[in-house]
Amino acid sequence: MKELDLLKKDWKKNSDSFQQISETEIYKMIHKKSSSIVKWILIISILEVSFWTFSNLFINTDDLLKKMNHPEIVLALEFLTYFNYIVVMIFVIIFYKNYKTISTTVATKSLMSAILRTRKTVQYYVWYNLGMIVITTILSYFIAFVYNPDMNFLREKLALDGKAMFFTVGILILIILGLFGIFWCIYRLIYGTLLRRLYANYKELKKIDI
Amino acid sequence: MYMSENLEQSFVAQLQANQNIIHKICRLYTAGEDAHKDLFQEITIQLWKAYPKFRGDSKFSTWTYRVALNTAITLYRKTKRTVSTVEYESHQHFIKDVDYNYEEEEQIKLMYKAVYQLNDIEKALVFMYLEDKDYQEIAETLGISEVNARVKMNRIKGKLKKILNP
Repeated sequence: MKELDLLKKDWKKNSDSFQQISETEIYKMIHKKSSSIVKWILIISILEVSFWTFSNLFINTDDLLKKMNHPEIVLALEFLTYFNYIVVMIFVIIFYKNYKTISTTVATKSLMSAILRTRKTVQYYVWYNLGMIVITTILSYFIAFVYNPDMNFLREKLALDGKAMFFTVGILILIILGLFGIFWCIYRLIYGTLLRRLYANYKELKKIDI
Repeated sequence: MYMSENLEQSFVAQLQANQNIIHKICRLYTAGEDAHKDLFQEITIQLWKAYPKFRGDSKFSTWTYRVALNTAITLYRKTKRTVSTVEYESHQHFIKDVDYNYEEEEQIKLMYKAVYQLNDIEKALVFMYLEDKDYQEIAETLGISEVNARVKMNRIKGKLKKILNP
């Protein structure tokens, strides 16, 4: 076929007319998968922080706190909120740093250790959040019972009746377990999936690392 | 530790030296710079994944042909199978008009267009043909028999002729 031979001639003529890709670019390409996973971890953590901040704007506890008339509690809660924001922001910064490291790392060995470090950070982050959920639940339960004037009658009853006390603590534990379970599942689903993929990449790298 | 760095270094160096193979495959399977880059990257990742299994009993370039073509074929299948027939139709009258008297350049352009209309496997065969590979190598690379490769190539020639002279 004469057209095909013509094409072949042209093909050969143009076979080295491509813009050449450098070795550094190739290194970046083969490490890209991990960096895109870490990028998602960063994005999701930021979304999570924004979600909590946003929902805090709508849950109005000011009136309730005013009714209690205990300024020290308001102060303590504020302190806890800011403390939480600072810790979470530190995590987000670490996520960002991890992302930067992984997307620019060239050597396999340091990429592997960066992946492990990222996994650790995410695990700490999840445990911190779960711990915070338990602490806030206990605290709000405690505040509601001890300081809320509406609960006076219940308090008196609890002081007299051992059974009711037992019942109340039982509910508290159930609520904690429920919330813990729900959030554990959510975190497992979101971060767990990403971490598993990241770990798969790690294992791939390890295969090469004989 | 040094082993892994060496493996990676040797991979990157060899790929860098053989990158035109991938570029040429990208030229046949994609249109546009972005698509070209994307496919290049995907092929690079697949090659890197497969590299631990590359024992060096074939040449790096031969192995690259195989893995890269398979990647291109698989990806091409996942995305649109149908190549823009609209575009082809709009050129049809043009082909008829110029018939056999067009210049070489024009002919080459039309050939490229015709090759773009082929399906994923056919493109792979044309690619190997353009790369001056014999049927044995074509067959090995694509994992088909030599006879099958010959038959397919003849069919492709027929198909191309039909596209050029409808």
